[in-house]
Formats: sequence, structure tokens, C-alpha cells
Amino acid sequence: MKKFVIALLMLSLSVTAVFAQGSNESGSSVIQENAPIEISFWHIFGDARGQWIEDRVEEFNSMQDEYHVTQENKGSYRDTLQASLLAYRQGSAPTLVHVAEAGSQAAYDSGIFMPISDIGSFDTSDYIEPVLNYYTINNKVNSIPFNSSSPVLYINTDMLVKAGYDKNWTPKTFSDVITSLEKAQAAGVTDAKYTDAIHAWFFEELVAEQGGYIYNNGNGRDARATEALLGGEAGLNVAKFYKDLSDNNLLAWTGKVEDWGGSDNIFTNEKAMYHITSTGDINVISAGAEGKFNLNVGMLPIADNSKRNGTVIGGGSIWLTKGHSQEEMEGARDFILYMTNTENMVSWHKLSGYYPVRKSSVELLDNEGWFDTNSLQTVAFKQLLDTVPNKATAGALGGTVYDHRTYIEEALVKIINGQSVDVAMDEAIKLTNAKIKEYNSNF
Amino acid sequence: MNQNKNAIFKSKTIPYLYLLPTSLVLIIFIYYPTIKTFILAFYRSNFILGTRKYIGIENFKNLFTGALAPGFIQTCIQTLVFAFFVVVLGLGISMFLAVLTNEKIKGAKYYRLLLIWPFALSPAVAGTVFSFMFNPEVGVINIFLNAVFNIKPGWLTNPYLAFSVAVMAAVWKNLGYNIVFYIAAFQNISKDPLEAAEMDGASKFSKFIHILFPLLSPTSFFLLFTNITYSLFDSFAIIDVLTKGGPMGQPPFMDNVGLTTTLMYKIFLDGFGGSSNMGFAAAETFVLMIIVMIIAMFQFGILGRRVNYDV
Repeated sequence: MKKFVIALLMLSLSVTAVFAQGSNESGSSVIQENAPIEISFWHIFGDARGQWIEDRVEEFNSMQDEYHVTQENKGSYRDTLQASLLAYRQGSAPTLVHVAEAGSQAAYDSGIFMPISDIGSFDTSDYIEPVLNYYTINNKVNSIPFNSSSPVLYINTDMLVKAGYDKNWTPKTFSDVITSLEKAQAAGVTDAKYTDAIHAWFFEELVAEQGGYIYNNGNGRDARATEALLGGEAGLNVAKFYKDLSDNNLLAWTGKVEDWGGSDNIFTNEKAMYHITSTGDINVISAGAEGKFNLNVGMLPIADNSKRNGTVIGGGSIWLTKGHSQEEMEGARDFILYMTNTENMVSWHKLSGYYPVRKSSVELLDNEGWFDTNSLQTVAFKQLLDTVPNKATAGALGGTVYDHRTYIEEALVKIINGQSVDVAMDEAIKLTNAKIKEYNSNF
Repeated sequence: MNQNKNAIFKSKTIPYLYLLPTSLVLIIFIYYPTIKTFILAFYRSNFILGTRKYIGIENFKNLFTGALAPGFIQTCIQTLVFAFFVVVLGLGISMFLAVLTNEKIKGAKYYRLLLIWPFALSPAVAGTVFSFMFNPEVGVINIFLNAVFNIKPGWLTNPYLAFSVAVMAAVWKNLGYNIVFYIAAFQNISKDPLEAAEMDGASKFSKFIHILFPLLSPTSFFLLFTNITYSLFDSFAIIDVLTKGGPMGQPPFMDNVGLTTTLMYKIFLDGFGGSSNMGFAAAETFVLMIIVMIIAMFQFGILGRRVNYDV
């Protein structure tokens, strides 16, 4: 019996030792009088862009002594959001979190964030309207826009000229794209094709250009989306565009969906005449084209007989988590407004290719003569600034954005493989509706 | 002789005490999560929202009826096909290679060492190695094929080729493990029957078929089970790195999910990807568990009887 007791004691000791390491560290976090308030910021950038954030954090910390900001790269958007959710549930959430545009509804519904505009009053009128619109939920500026981009059409003008067009000509409609490709092929340019990453983000943009909605209830902006529209007629137009390209052997792709790098390679290796990708890739594409062919940038082509409505912003914004003192939240707000101020957004744009999200930054760039030497950027800005602010260009809001993107991409692949547009899009709508129903049952 | 089974332990409680650590580990890391998973399958639970709502058997119903069912059924079928090829090729090739290393040749020791080496890599590394090799533009395979035959197959974009590459990567990754066991098995095989056969003038092939193969059957039987579990569970990282579950096959049956989406990968996608429902993923996990149980029962019930343990 004695042995039994000893053995049991040893065992319980070893078991508690295993779990002891996970105990809290509350002992070390006693806040001293007058010590700066700690603000933490989790984001997704690890490269030069992460360094840029670190530099801004250090500047902000040295500018004042009321707050002390720490920043940390938490990996992908998904990892960062998941880490924040888990941290929040364990009572140690970061103050500021970098969230993807597509994750907005899910982050909003998670209940761990609060609208940043609830923290005192501050002026948001300087932020570019279509950008701010995306992050305005229930009429409140919910998060501060940070890295923003939208897609544009990249053109290999050497091929265009061979087809008999002026080098400054850009296609305005889907028909223009197809006709010019056919002419180029007829002129002997066998590689005159269209390429993109087969990412549903482009599909959404081409739908928004026609004023189409992805979800009902005003694209999910009036009330929680209950049904997928995936653009309705506008969506079918876009799907048909891909079908026409594919049927006429005018589409080049790697066979892999969401293949950003692969489609860039196709274009820069002169295997395509047109390429749709993010404005954030202007530097990459220009470098790839240099010494090989002449490059031009045009606005996104729109469906025939439709009116140009504008594009939706992509990228990410900075969200504020709940449950902090008023001082901490004010400090967090001040930091994020500092990080996205006029001068900083100019340097951010020059470094990363993302839009500067402020009107004053665009003016500053203009006065500096930035657009004279970087004329390709002008089209991107014009496309963004010409955007009609409405619910289509505000972007779809829903907890199932990642789902519908998967289903749209699958539908496009099926269409490219020969399935009919109606059947493929119906299937995508059906699947998205199943996910919406599922998601909405959580409330 | 009638042995007293309690001869070693004077007290009746002591044996249970010694079992306690193992039982605790099993309960904490195996049984408890299994039961929790089973319970979770009756809930709708969104990871991001942190919600949890009892919905009865709806998750199970959605596996087999409705919009999401075709994707699940296709996944189940291709998972079994994937497992079949990984196990058959994996065991076949490793047995063949192990027999070769058992030949009396110079440097056999080093060959053995080199063959075991892939086992030391993590599946993610194996996936990365294969994705570099089979990259359609810059991979060594296509550089070679392009130079010699002037072709550049889309290894990771053609659904059937991508499936084959995933199988190859999974087989290659596990070769070392299988070979270690076969080499160990050879050490225990008595030389007598082989020498006797040699005297009778048996060919290498018939020696293998009639002597080595039956004598290796206990090892093969053990490896069969570990390889099945490996192919069902551990292929996750290889798939994630190589193909992310894509590309999709042709209609009407193979265009519901990517052809390399195994059940394990789909569980991850449904639980944590998109608009997550961890309950649905748990229901899928439960089905996977049943598949493994059926395979195990079949294996021990039918094949187990045919294993030759007499040496």
C-alpha cells in the first residue's frame, strides 16, 4: 500500500508538472505609475513592408511618451485573424489587428472588434471614398483602410501594334478585347491571348463595373446577405467572357486557380497580350517587361452595352479589438491615423505599389510629379477616383466571401473546360447558398 | 505447467498502477478528443464566430444529401483510390528495393542508408521537393523532358498527373520507413530454406515468390496497416504544399472538388477554411474513422489469418 501511495504521488507530481508550464504570467504585468500604455498591433507583412510598419511604430513611439506600440507579423490574413480570436478568448487580445477586405463580415460577426469611429470624433473625409466605403459597415467607419489595391488591364503594346492598333489604344469592352486578340492572331501573333490568375476577385470587379451585386440585401450592405446572386446577369456576362475567350483559343492560364505568379509569368514571357492583375503588381510587371516589350496599362474592360461603374477596393484594413481602456483605444486610434497620414501613405505607395488611401497623398504625389515619371500608375488612380460610390463598388459583404470565391473559381474552370455558363454558375450559386444558410444559422 | 499469472505482482492493484500512465496518455490524447469530435459532429460550430449550436444529425445529413454531398462523396472515393495506390506502390517498391539491398554487393550498407533517408524528412519537405521537381516551367523533370522529347506536361495542373505526383510523393516519403522494416525482417529470416532452394536450383524469382514473400508476410501485414493510416492521415502536408487539393477533374463525376483533395484535407478546409463549420468537419472525421475501422476489421479478419508466422 505504501508503494501505491508513493507511486500515486509521483504520478500526480509529474502530471501537474506537465500542465504547470501553461499557467498564466500575471505576476509580471503590474503596471507602474506613468509607464506608457502598451498597444499591440498584429499584421501580415513580413518583408520590406513589415519593416516599413516597424519604422512607423518606432517613429510613433519616439514622438510621444504616453503610449508604447509594439508590432508583430502573425503570418497570413487567416493566421492573424485566428490568432487574434484565440488571444481574445483567452483575454490577451492585441489592440489592433490587420484584417483582409474579404474577411470583414466574419471579423465583424466575431464580436471581438468595435468600430474605430466609436473612439472620439476624427475626420475621415480625406480617405478616398470607394476605399472608405468598403470599410463602412452599418453607416459607421468600422476600420481604418491600410493596404489597398484594385485590378487593372496590362497590355503588351508590341502585339497590339502588330494587330494594326495605335500603341495608345486600350480596349474598353469585352468585345474590344476579343476582337483585338483575333486581329492580332490573324496578323500572325499566335501568342496574342488574355491571361489572369483565375481569381474570383477579378470576377467580382468585372461584376461591380456593371453595377451587379454578389449578394442580395444590397450586396449584404443593407442587411445580412441571405442569398447569393453572384452578379446575376452581370455575372453571366463575365462568365460568358471567359467562355468566349476559351472557345476561341484566346485564353492562356496555368491550369491552376489563384495562380498570381503563374499568370504574371505568362504575360511577362510574352505568351499573352492582355493581363488583368492588381495595381500592386505594377512594379513587378514593369520589371518583367523591361527590355522585352512595351507595356501599357488600361482600365478594366467592361461588358458590352454597360455603363462603367467602377471598381471595388481590395486589400486590408486595421481593426480595433474590444475590451481596452479608453486611453489605450485612443492611443491605438492615434497610432493608426499616424501610420496612414498623408506623408506615410505616399512613402507606402512608393514602396509597395498599394494605393495611398488619402486624397491629400494623391495630391502630394501629383505635385511631386510622380505621375509624370510613373504614368502607368495614372490609369489605376483614375479608375479608382472615377468609381461611382454605390453598393456594387462598396463590395460584397458576407461571411461566405471565401466560399463564393472558391465556387466561382471552380465554375470558371468548368466553363473553360467546356461546361455551359448557365449550368456552372447555377451550381456556384447553389453551393454558395448552402454555405450562406449554414453561416447565417449561427446567429 | 500451470503458471500463476500474478506471480510477478504481489498486490492486485500494482499492475493497474503501471498501466495508469499509458491509460492516462491514451485517455487524454486519444479517447477524450475522439469523444469530443463525435459530440462536436452534432453541433454547428463556426471557428471565427466561436458559436456552437446543437443541430442533431444535420451535419451527417449534409454529407450525403444536398449541395455539399457530391463534393464529399467524390472526396471519399478519391481518398480510397489514393490510399490504394500509396499502399500498393509503397509496399511493392520498398519490398523490391529491400530485396536488392539484401544482395551481397559492394557498399550495400550505403545503399541501405540512402534508401532510409527520405523517412527523415517531414511530409512538408517531401511536398516541397516534389513541387520543385515537377514545376512545369523550371522543374528538373520538365527541363529534361523538354530537352529530350520536347514536351512539357502540366504535372501539377492536369488533374490526373497532379494526382499521380501526389501519390509518388507520398510513396517516396514513406519508402524509408517500409525499407527499414523489411531490412530488419531479412535479418531474422533463417538462411536454411534459401540455401536449400538454391541447391535445388530455384531461380531468384521463384525463391522470392515461394520463400521470401511468405516469410515476410508478418512484416508486410504490419506495414499494410501503418501504410493505410499513413496514406489516410499523413498525406495532408504533401497535398497542401503540392496542389492545395486541386485541380478539378472532368464532369460529370470528378468536377465537384479538386482531384487531390483527400478526406483529411477536406476536413481541414471545411473546419477552418471559408465560412468554417467545425461540426461538419467533425462529421467528416467520424466517417473517416469508420472507413479506417472497416479497413482494419477487414485486414485483421481476413488477411490476418493468412499471415505466416512460422519461421
